[in-house]
Amino acid sequence: MNGFAYLVKFSYRNLFRVPRRTLIMILSLSLGCGFIIWDLNFASSGSREMMKEFLSQYAGNYHITHPEFYDAHNKKEFNLYKTMSDDELVEKNLIQLSTKRVNAPVFISGEKKTLGVLLTGLDVEKEKKISTLYKAISEGRFLAKSGDKEIILGKKFAQRINVSVGKQVATVGQAIDGSIANDLFTVVGVLDFGGGDLEESLAFTQLQSAQELLAMPLERYHQRVSFDMDSEIPLSLKNHEISKWTELLPEIGVSVRFIDNFTWIVSIIIVVVVSLGLSNTLMITFFEREQEFTSLNIIGAQTSWITASLMVEVFVMGTIAVLIGALLGFAATTYFNYYPINIEIFTGGKPIIMGGITIAPLIRIYSVPQYYWQVPLMIYFFLILTMIYPLIRVIRRSKNAV
Amino acid sequence: MQFELSNVDKVYESSEEIKVYGAKNVNIKIPEAEFMALVGPSGSGKTTILNLIAGLILPSSGSLKHGGEDITSMSLEERTKHRLDYMGFVFQDYQLLPILTASENIEFPLQLKGFSKKDIKQRVEWALTQVGLEKLGNRFPSQLSGGQQQRVSIARAIAGRPQLILADEPTANLDSKTAQEIIELFLKLNKEFKLTFIFSTHDQRLIDQVRTVLYVKDGQISESRVHHV
Repeated sequence: MNGFAYLVKFSYRNLFRVPRRTLIMILSLSLGCGFIIWDLNFASSGSREMMKEFLSQYAGNYHITHPEFYDAHNKKEFNLYKTMSDDELVEKNLIQLSTKRVNAPVFISGEKKTLGVLLTGLDVEKEKKISTLYKAISEGRFLAKSGDKEIILGKKFAQRINVSVGKQVATVGQAIDGSIANDLFTVVGVLDFGGGDLEESLAFTQLQSAQELLAMPLERYHQRVSFDMDSEIPLSLKNHEISKWTELLPEIGVSVRFIDNFTWIVSIIIVVVVSLGLSNTLMITFFEREQEFTSLNIIGAQTSWITASLMVEVFVMGTIAVLIGALLGFAATTYFNYYPINIEIFTGGKPIIMGGITIAPLIRIYSVPQYYWQVPLMIYFFLILTMIYPLIRVIRRSKNAV
Repeated sequence: MQFELSNVDKVYESSEEIKVYGAKNVNIKIPEAEFMALVGPSGSGKTTILNLIAGLILPSSGSLKHGGEDITSMSLEERTKHRLDYMGFVFQDYQLLPILTASENIEFPLQLKGFSKKDIKQRVEWALTQVGLEKLGNRFPSQLSGGQQQRVSIARAIAGRPQLILADEPTANLDSKTAQEIIELFLKLNKEFKLTFIFSTHDQRLIDQVRTVLYVKDGQISESRVHHV
């Protein structure tokens, strides 16, 4: 047996010198590791699922626009005169997974008031296939494919201008040729996003109705919105103006980042607390064996060998703990994948509204592979920190032991 | 190769005014196959002299040599290596590792020395045979009596065939019958293999059996006697 193998064997045996204590240490570490993996998976799945649900409802994963759609000098300001056509998109697969939209800021007049809103023209048939906007209709119906000059309004907006399903509204805006665009639209549905701001700022009509209102040729449109949530932006779009959802809806991106970072911070705090307890236990364990270290030194074991054996001991324990922890984390994640968690238990049964949209309360947890090495690595890192002080004491004492 | 302590002092200073001599003007020559006992009351300095011979502590003055090599000039690591190469130790309370079997305890210093697997096996078997525990190699210390544990401790000390075995009160924790058996084992190993033994002891039976007795008082060798056994 070579020197290192003997060291590992020796350390492994030492690990089970006081089995109950070692098992408690392994258990606390593995439970900590398992919980952190599960917690990170939960946070990631939760924010991912909420984000997906939110984006699939209306916003999409990314928006493709004409390269000159946004003014080069003031990038995020609408320049309504720049539009695009399907011919400008090479990627055919992308056309399958995205939908055309026309956007125009307009004024809508009801019986009481005239208010500004962003009117979006939709490809109704396509939209119903790849977005879930139609599910947010609370009164009336979604836009009909063959319909003309139909409009659906946000619930709050409809209340503010005092219109209901079946009524007509006057719409005034600016056409792409600079002339005044105006027309009458019939309210066919009301959208309920759960009471958020979107209900006050959005209105939808058929693509063709919007094109006619804005005097646009039928093959032209402002945006393609991709609902392919997991895909990266294709390289073929490098000549187009691409906005990812994180730029379009920064508050959602910030929320997701906050949840992920906060979960990591909580995880680190858990590991620090566990490490402090572990450090104390290690100190007790090492000091109990002080006489033995002296004897080992007398019969010829170098201080470095004794120190290495203690380090290996802690690493063997850590390895057993993180393996069990990873299995526990995986098992818990898998369980909650089959039996999703209802997050309304954390809000007292109240709905969760994010970015103006009510989020479905059931969270199905998915494993994020990188957590299965990141968390053990973090635990190893803290184990090293945990060992430093007890080891320094052991080295100092063993040198002055006789 | 003989061990030699010349004019060795070991002073413990708790302050500039308070100095305690653990060893004072100690001169000892330890020839090969010596069977020697350091005798004296508790606190007389026996263990300090054993620790000096082992290189566990360094003298405040004087020289400590093994075969002409100056142990005092060695680093801590070199002295540990020196002990591993040339010395074996037998403790009053055996100091066996509870997590290792008897065989594995004997194997421990051999592993540190880097012997081959085959060599280790042969040496462990030989050492177990010498101490009469051939059939108990697989037992853990907790499964052995005090006498058996001390035999394992002796086997561990002799397995590497050292030149010198230092034993600190090796019979103090044993009943008289077992103590007598252990003394006979020491004698046998000394005669058969010319192993050098130095004991620190109060045990009159052991004192009666050694060739040289050094009486230690206040850190000094107050008297020495040579038995012609």
